[in-house]
Amino acid sequence: MNMLEFAMQVFRANMMDIPLINPIVEELMSVPWLNLVVALILWRPFFAVVVMPGLVVIMLYLLYIIWFERKLTARIQWRVGPLEVFRPLRGAIQALADGLRYFFQESIVHREAHRPYFVQLPILAFIPVLLPIALIPAGNVVGIKTPYAIPLFIALLSLIPITIIAIGWASNSRFAFIGSVREALMYVAYEIPFIIAAISMIYLYGSADPYVAVEKQTIPGALLNPVACLVFLISMLMATSRLPFEIPEADQEIAFGPFVEYSGMLFGLVMVLAYEKLYLMSLLFTILFLAGWSGPQLAVLGDINAPLWLVVKTLIVISILSIVRSMYARYRIDQALRFGFSWILAFSIIALAIGVVLGYEGGI
Amino acid sequence: MKAEFKAKKLEILKMHIDVIREAFKQAFAPDRVTVEYPRERKKFPPNFRGLIFCEREKCISCFRCAHICPANAIQIYFHDKAWPGIDYTKCIFCHFCVDSCPTGALRATKIHDVAFATMDEMKLRATQTTKPPEVFREDSVTVDYSVDERGWSLVRVKERDELVVEAPPPRLKRRVSYCADPESCLGCRLCVEYCPSDAISVDRKANKLRILEEKCTGCGICVRNCPMKVLELREVR
Amino acid sequence: MQEWKIVLPEKKHKKKFFGNLLEEVIKPGICSHCTACAAICPVKGITAGDKPIDFPNWLRDCVDCGACVKVCPRWEYKPLNGVGRYIEAFSARSKRFRGQDGAMVTEFTATALEEGIVEKAIFVARDEEWRTRVVTISNVEQLKSEKVAGTKYSFADVLPAVKEAVLDANAVAFVGTPCMISALRKMQRSFKKFERVKLAIGLFCTENFYHSQLSEFLSKKGVAMKDVLKTDIKKGKFIVKKADGEVIFPVKELDEIIPSGCKVCQDFSAVESDVSVGSVGSEGGFSTVLVRSDVAKRVADLIRAKGNAEFKDASIEAVKKLCDYKVKIHPYNR
Repeated sequence: MNMLEFAMQVFRANMMDIPLINPIVEELMSVPWLNLVVALILWRPFFAVVVMPGLVVIMLYLLYIIWFERKLTARIQWRVGPLEVFRPLRGAIQALADGLRYFFQESIVHREAHRPYFVQLPILAFIPVLLPIALIPAGNVVGIKTPYAIPLFIALLSLIPITIIAIGWASNSRFAFIGSVREALMYVAYEIPFIIAAISMIYLYGSADPYVAVEKQTIPGALLNPVACLVFLISMLMATSRLPFEIPEADQEIAFGPFVEYSGMLFGLVMVLAYEKLYLMSLLFTILFLAGWSGPQLAVLGDINAPLWLVVKTLIVISILSIVRSMYARYRIDQALRFGFSWILAFSIIALAIGVVLGYEGGI
Repeated sequence: MKAEFKAKKLEILKMHIDVIREAFKQAFAPDRVTVEYPRERKKFPPNFRGLIFCEREKCISCFRCAHICPANAIQIYFHDKAWPGIDYTKCIFCHFCVDSCPTGALRATKIHDVAFATMDEMKLRATQTTKPPEVFREDSVTVDYSVDERGWSLVRVKERDELVVEAPPPRLKRRVSYCADPESCLGCRLCVEYCPSDAISVDRKANKLRILEEKCTGCGICVRNCPMKVLELREVR
Repeated sequence: MQEWKIVLPEKKHKKKFFGNLLEEVIKPGICSHCTACAAICPVKGITAGDKPIDFPNWLRDCVDCGACVKVCPRWEYKPLNGVGRYIEAFSARSKRFRGQDGAMVTEFTATALEEGIVEKAIFVARDEEWRTRVVTISNVEQLKSEKVAGTKYSFADVLPAVKEAVLDANAVAFVGTPCMISALRKMQRSFKKFERVKLAIGLFCTENFYHSQLSEFLSKKGVAMKDVLKTDIKKGKFIVKKADGEVIFPVKELDEIIPSGCKVCQDFSAVESDVSVGSVGSEGGFSTVLVRSDVAKRVADLIRAKGNAEFKDASIEAVKKLCDYKVKIHPYNR
């Protein structure tokens, strides 16, 4: 049989089952070329990586998070936030307007920059950002099913700060250099406690498989090991350079740090880097501490239940982090380093101890 | 030492909790006092100093506004009488002119946000100051601040604020010119020249000067320009 | 309706009133430069200063009010002469001021200001080059500080300052030459406001000069004006005191720069003033004072009562002699 029929066979073997739209799907499957496209979209790996919790959700999430964060911070700070873009919605599609603007703006590559790296690195930086999405499962919707998803995920996450440092270096500018150095210092500060906290949860569940982790969370992981939860949260703040640890790209101090020389579409790309890293870490947080995709399931939604719960919980975590941003002031770099290496390290070791103790003899 | 240490930690924890509580409170019920101009307008008090317009029928061409303007923004334009035009590139909105107008012809408004396309358009001539300046209003809500012990809050009323201020009538009664010292009069007839209402006239045959009270508007130009200062203003009985 | 009469003098020529003044007074050369016309002109068109009286552009700008003609002392000129009537005459020296002779002009003004008889006084000060500058005095400190004491042999525009002071204050004093005093009396007869000049102090005067001409003359004599400490005319001699000595020459040598208006004036002792002051008739350091009116008598009595001056007798014969001498050298028969 030819390629198309083979593909069709593969797709049909692993399609998602959503009772709500099944009738429409049946109708479309009878159309000759359209059925291939529909089958592709509903093919589970494709759905996991591209639609949910993948690229489509990431784009919509960006739209949501930028609006939510700006409006919430403004509300707490007695301001109004963006208001004018689409009056009936009170400025909700500000991010869309900004994105459109980036399209039309000229990406200036200044003379002193190392041109190949300057242009390519923002795109290369997306590799460690988008790859881990293939590893995260949500029910039976998963891209790559592997029992070592969590350590792989963490390993890929660790590559992101390297790309950010490289971006600052390629810019060949004073502020970018200082921003890169700060990013390197922050990297050193949070990476070890972060990994130890994740490892403590692996010990707790007795396996690095996300499926096992979610199954074992009849009580959410946040209550089983609250210390690890706290350490993980604070490391998330440090990793994605959010206040109070917004040190590499502090607007008032270092004029946006490593990304200072970017404009136009390149700037659009680097701006969303931090948000996407936050999304990834929140996915991990949800799986480890908030019982992942479990929750009351609606029969009519079928297979899409699990990804939906996963995404909703992730968004809740991110929304809470947005409040943290508006509450605290910025740490100094040496204060942050001291904090990371004294208190957070200590707490993470305590979390590890709790995890080992509770997960003795093969996990809870 | 240990107790101190512990107390400090407790304090810090308490501060964290306070911050979180405050942030959540503000997230749900913010105390913000932002006025979303131009859809809302803040209610200004009646003595707000905005742009100025002149009611022509009341103007007596006394030139007091032009004399007192500290920024030299008022220029008098001569048609059959003499009326003020305001140059808004110079006006500092001190409203000295409004205060000095003896008949209350110059009136204040609460308008502060007129947009002019060019600098030349900002120099209003006398024909343009007869009405309150045109302002494009987008507002439908008037906002006012209300202050109590707990703090400031906004009070929103769904109505438009009236931007032209009702001025109280001027406290001066009508005054007319008269000669207080006819024996010192030089006979130079400068007052006859200067009078914009032709209230002073000279009778050449009888060699007399005559002031007609009905025509005199009390502008005071003759009083200011008499070389021997024999003319004065007095209230009409 | 209010009406009042305005009085116009009779024109002697078919021109505007300044044209009449030009024909009758300025062109014949009898204008004394008293500056009364410049003071009274309602459009401030008549100019004075260190040049002859003129009204540039009078054909267009003169409003034909006739005030200049009404106040001009040389319009229908009948020269006044003689010592004039006086209530008392004495010679005095002020104890608190230093002046040309006895500083009695300054003393009279100071006493009048102190006692509230006048509110403002018009005096003449000078700069280093002996150019005249009119000052308005409101208190005695100004008399002590400004360079107002001492005779300046140049024209000064006193009457315009008198007019401004009369509009502000209710009682004014001033010092002037006999032509200025006569002009003031004419102003008082025509315009009632000038009756606010309560004290008109006249100076004994034979002639006056234009500053530029005097300065040029003295420099030809080898004297720079800024070196001059004091100028004096005594016994027919012009005495210039400098820091390093004196330069004396007969007054007759100055004949060529005496203005023509002074050459028809016969009034030596300012017969229309309230009080006349000068050096003739007293010894050195003392001034002759002729008190003519009740106001001046009151001031003189106050000076006596306060003991601010020493008094002696004056020689009226000497004054009379000079009055006759002036009539002789300045004939006027038109």
